[in-house]
Amino acid sequence: MHKWVSGILVLLMCLTVFSTILPAQEKISLRVAWWGSQDRHNRTLKAIELFEKKYPNIKIYPEYTAWNDYWTKLNTQAAGKNLPDVIQHDYAYLSEWATRGLVLPLDEYISKGIIDLSSVAENQISPGKIGGKVYGINLGTNSLGMLYDPELFKKAGIPFPKVGWTWNDFREIATRLKNKLGIYGAEAITKADAQVFKVWLMSHGYWLYSEDGKSIGYKDDKLFVDWFNLLLDLQSKGAIPSIETDIARGTLGVEDMFIVTQKSAMGLLWSNQIVAVSKAAKERPLRFALMPRAPIPNAKPANYLKASQFFSVTSQSKHPKEAAMFIDFFTNSLEANKVLLAERGVPISSKIQKSLLPFLGSSQREMFNFVSLAEKNSLPIPPPDPPGATDVVNNVWNPIVEQILYGRITPDKAAVEFRDKVTKILQQR
Amino acid sequence: MNKRERYNNVMGYLFISPWLIGFFIFTLFPIIASFILAFTRYDVLSPPRWIGIDNWFRLLEDTRYHNSLKATFYYVFTAVPLRLIFALLVAMLLKPSTRLAGLYRGIYYLPSLIGGSVAVAVVWRQVFGSEGLINFILGMMGIKGLNWLGNPSTAIWTLIILAVWQFGSPMLIFLAGLKQIPDSLYEAASIDGAKGWDQFIKITLPMLSPVILFNLIMQIINGFMVFTQAYIITSGGPLDTTLFYSLYLYQKAFQSFEMGYASAMAWVLLMIIAFFTALAFKSSRFWVYYESEEGK
Amino acid sequence: MAKKAKRQNIIYHIATFILGIIMIYPLLWMISSSFKENADIFTTMGTLIPPKFTVENYIEGWKGFGNVSFATFFKNSFIVAGIGTIGTVISSAIVAYGFARIPFKGKDLWFTAMMITLMLPFQVQIIPQYIMFNTLNWINTFYPLIVPKFFGSAFFIFLIIQFIRGLPLELDESAEIDGAGRIGIFWWIILPLIKPALITASLFSFYWTWDDFLGPLLYLNQATLYTVSLALKNFADPTTITNWGAVFAMSVLSLMPVLLIFIFFQKYLTEGIATTGMKG
Repeated sequence: MHKWVSGILVLLMCLTVFSTILPAQEKISLRVAWWGSQDRHNRTLKAIELFEKKYPNIKIYPEYTAWNDYWTKLNTQAAGKNLPDVIQHDYAYLSEWATRGLVLPLDEYISKGIIDLSSVAENQISPGKIGGKVYGINLGTNSLGMLYDPELFKKAGIPFPKVGWTWNDFREIATRLKNKLGIYGAEAITKADAQVFKVWLMSHGYWLYSEDGKSIGYKDDKLFVDWFNLLLDLQSKGAIPSIETDIARGTLGVEDMFIVTQKSAMGLLWSNQIVAVSKAAKERPLRFALMPRAPIPNAKPANYLKASQFFSVTSQSKHPKEAAMFIDFFTNSLEANKVLLAERGVPISSKIQKSLLPFLGSSQREMFNFVSLAEKNSLPIPPPDPPGATDVVNNVWNPIVEQILYGRITPDKAAVEFRDKVTKILQQR
Repeated sequence: MNKRERYNNVMGYLFISPWLIGFFIFTLFPIIASFILAFTRYDVLSPPRWIGIDNWFRLLEDTRYHNSLKATFYYVFTAVPLRLIFALLVAMLLKPSTRLAGLYRGIYYLPSLIGGSVAVAVVWRQVFGSEGLINFILGMMGIKGLNWLGNPSTAIWTLIILAVWQFGSPMLIFLAGLKQIPDSLYEAASIDGAKGWDQFIKITLPMLSPVILFNLIMQIINGFMVFTQAYIITSGGPLDTTLFYSLYLYQKAFQSFEMGYASAMAWVLLMIIAFFTALAFKSSRFWVYYESEEGK
Repeated sequence: MAKKAKRQNIIYHIATFILGIIMIYPLLWMISSSFKENADIFTTMGTLIPPKFTVENYIEGWKGFGNVSFATFFKNSFIVAGIGTIGTVISSAIVAYGFARIPFKGKDLWFTAMMITLMLPFQVQIIPQYIMFNTLNWINTFYPLIVPKFFGSAFFIFLIIQFIRGLPLELDESAEIDGAGRIGIFWWIILPLIKPALITASLFSFYWTWDDFLGPLLYLNQATLYTVSLALKNFADPTTITNWGAVFAMSVLSLMPVLLIFIFFQKYLTEGIATTGMKG
């Protein structure tokens, strides 16, 4: 009997000792979600391994999917109040999430230095700001550019696009390329979101939305009409693929773009996509030109620096501090960035940018050069899209673009309809 | 209630109890929730707000919604009959148990196995592309091809053909149904002098009618809910000609953040499907022959 | 006359041949693309013979993501589809017998309710379902994918009902006279006779569960739990580098189990068990 009691006592003591030790060893777990393809998954997973090695008390549970599925899943998780701690975010949705309090402002962690942005320029931070607070840390800087094939330009005897070229120059060059080589001058100009039109407006000194996000940002519908007359003109000349051709191709990815197969001499792309395009084009040299400016005197630049994507911390996270540490690691660790290799765009830290240079391939170097050229010739980042912007793009912009290019409606009529419908949506919100 | 009735009631509920329990645990809540959401504005990210019947009225003036109705009805009234006829035809051909039948069945079922994968999207664009297989064959016959997927009047037909091409599941069901028809019936008919077509009309069709009814109803239901093919291949374009009901509903729910509106759409669709299903069931009295009701 | 018959015969064979090619052309295309080098896939879309034959896509694809290879994804798919199919077919057959043969109070009501569940688009049920499984603490497990299957699926219940209703009622009656109860009749008489329907249901159930990616997408978070269908989707992203060769290679592999199961089981479909001894 005696032995029994002492035995139990010893056991209890052991348990208390263990239980006081155990919490110290207990790992903090973070769920991290992103979208991408196999290449990005593998790079990110390797960077996560490095993070776990550096912080052995933090365990990362990665959740990765492709772009479309990512948002279906994330929205469902948001509704179910089961969001991951760190999520990759997109410019199109960040403001919707921030205004609903689903992602945390990170200013506290930035000022404490947990997220160290000392070697990051302000124009690389501002894309993630909403209402003056930082809701997302830029994972790579991007700018829209006109990718061109120098070889085809030489073959046609046409000089390369210069800084400050306008849409009129573009029209002439694209048409000449078409006539000389019998291929498309350019592709992806009619991209299925309002991105290119926005840049067109920007160079005129306007933006698609007003500052309060309650109405359209330009007064004169001539801007809308001119833009589509330009596209219709290029389409009828065969200088860009017809809408029929573009729709039939669908959006498989950068791999089946005409610029890859040399059926087009130019193509509109985000700067980070050059890596994928060059790889698909068997590393044939391709170059980036800045976006053409408005065909008016004193036109403004038509480029701005955008975040390819963000990391944000969700408000449902139980460990926001550790989540911030994770984001910091992605931003500032050279080791991690050597693995990630600017796959998400040019890293925002100038230190990392410099130390990464020797490791870059030729297409990545072109991307770095282009982004720094764009930085010198860019306007400040426009305000984030107002709530309702996705509705505008999906249900008004895209259908109207199709109707114009299929010749079902004239640009003049479309301009009025566009203004009516967009105003209605924006004022409802 | 006599003893037999009581026994039947007990046994009936005992047999259907798996489904009944599952219905109350897993199925009922989402259905009720979606019905309630149809009367709210719900952007998924913040809690739903009650707005009464606004969503239902908005359906009346949403032109894209009307486009989606048009595309869906067009699809149902072409793809469903074509698919059923094709499936029955091939099932009849593949019914004999020859040595090659297994291989044929495999080949004809294969397209359905590829399903709605990314691969099918790529392949379909290749087949119907302006430099694709179809135009190549047409070219050999001296006919100039079309841009099938880019042309507003032909794009929906590429999806209808895809549906017909993936006829495997109704075919297998027909095949299983054909196999259940007793050979003795055909033997008796041959003795009476009935041949091919006569046999088909007098024996095959009536004996197969319960399975035909099943396939008809399931194809109507699935036809109205068609989603994947348009989602991965056409995304609804060009000019909304392939914007099927479920695709527009999905876009509203998960891309425009209007889950409440999407729920109202879903319930309208449910009523449309229920109407056509009820029609099929009601009509079945006149053309479906149940072996088991003969003795009643 | 003989000439005409011969010509018809040739036309028939050409037609069948072209139809056959059309039926399997996409598969041939997929297989051929899986052996092409990545850069060749989109430049040589029209040709079925790879300009440069490579098995690299299979090796690269099989590696999966990080440390999780397709071996894991296949294992998960087999678990989910295998257990799910057994559950669906058994429970559906039981329920179907109840609806098809037993006259009980409220039958029409419940049958209608069951059909209605088939008519509500899944898109609006995603969120309530997720909230429900989240409350049960089933997220990141196979439970949401497997457990509901054990309560019958409306599609298969209706399918089996139609097959049972095609069987003569005298079978039941004579068994009843011999003293068999409902359970006995179901087990000894009905079940053996609806074997073609059960095999059809098993094939469909297995394939549909195998192919489903939305359920796995929503309910599985960790890569070690991903199924093949979900993993395949994770290869392709329209905005970044996609290893298309690997997508096609793994698509071909993912087709194999379903195809093998089909080839193995379809011979039971042809045996026509139901035809013997009936009406006798």
